[in-house]
Amino acid sequence: MYEIQLDACPECDLLIHAGQPEVGEKAHCPRCGCLLHRPTQNSIERTLALSLTGLILLFPANLLPLVGIKLLGKDQDGTLWSGVSALFAENMWALAVLVFLSSMLFPAINIVLSLLISGHLYFRRFHPALPNWLRWLQHLGEWAMLEVYTLGIIVACVKLSSMAELHFGLGLCAFIALLLITGMLASNLDNPLFWRQIAQLNHEQNQ
Amino acid sequence: MSKINNSAIRQGLIRCHDCGTLSQARQRRFCPLCGCRLHGRIPHSQQKTLALLIGSLALYVPANLFPIMTITKFGVGEPHTIIGGIIALANSDMVPIAALVLIASILVPLLKMLGLALLLLYVHLQWQGHARRWTRIYRVILFVGRWSMLDIFMISILVSLVDLGGVAQVIAGSAATAFAAVVVFTMFAAKSFDPRLLWDNQDYE
Repeated sequence: MYEIQLDACPECDLLIHAGQPEVGEKAHCPRCGCLLHRPTQNSIERTLALSLTGLILLFPANLLPLVGIKLLGKDQDGTLWSGVSALFAENMWALAVLVFLSSMLFPAINIVLSLLISGHLYFRRFHPALPNWLRWLQHLGEWAMLEVYTLGIIVACVKLSSMAELHFGLGLCAFIALLLITGMLASNLDNPLFWRQIAQLNHEQNQ
Repeated sequence: MSKINNSAIRQGLIRCHDCGTLSQARQRRFCPLCGCRLHGRIPHSQQKTLALLIGSLALYVPANLFPIMTITKFGVGEPHTIIGGIIALANSDMVPIAALVLIASILVPLLKMLGLALLLLYVHLQWQGHARRWTRIYRVILFVGRWSMLDIFMISILVSLVDLGGVAQVIAGSAATAFAAVVVFTMFAAKSFDPRLLWDNQDYE
């Protein structure tokens, strides 16, 4: 079947005759150079597996202490939540909400949405909210900031290293694993493929 | 609207912002696949970006003047501004980390605001040429914004760990809220800027 499909570049609106790149290839817009599509191998299966792993890792990463310090003989452990609650206790509620959203809630929602979407596509089940889930996932992506938080941990540790004894908890391992999983999720999730599959399911449903 | 014939909007086509489906602009107001409202360009893109940019510029002043955190040791408080914190890091022989914080909390927000202002000028004054380069600048601005949250996360960790009452304590300062607002505002500003506007006024192909 020779079907010429039109597409427009999201960043410069150039009309393109969209070809379907193979796995390992990249499609760039000829005018502005925007990355249009980079298909990945078994995107749905990988997304499902990675989001399941992420879902499991969410618990230790959120509940176990990330770093602890020993200061003047007193031990203090820090979890993701203790950073939020400490800010809240100092009446910095706007900051507390922002840190809570970007380090706890949005990463969790991202993983749950990825799991829901890839699960439905894997088992080829239609759900009326599927398009909305994928839209939310695309918009929330940049507000989940685990990798920035990791840098924050590093800088905080460097600042504290001169005045206190640091020890790293099991939670930090889980957190870094979660960080890697979210990174892999983002690079394996093939958006155009997911939208095509959703359109197909939609079509089957309406028949 | 657009001088170039090969852009989708000149052909009466609109690409959905969210799912990428092309639709006939005349026939549809909502995307047939994902159901979101169709817009040829982000509505009021320049106004929104400009408003958020002015807001973040205004907040950038208190963010740098007021202390971002206060470190109390044995009852003596020592307020740090953003720059003060970087100087303290550099003085204690942690130059690479100081450079990292300098990039994330001073250079990135400043260059980002400058870049957004230039992008707005480019569109408003209908400058010609180098649209590809300006699109690249837009992409960098979009990508780099979130890294400024570094300072905010670091403060939240310090505040929760160093909490020994009067002996040693870290208290977040008012500049922290202002700085976080700068980061969030510039992120929204970058998101409301429509890079397709850079191409709409180009005379050449």
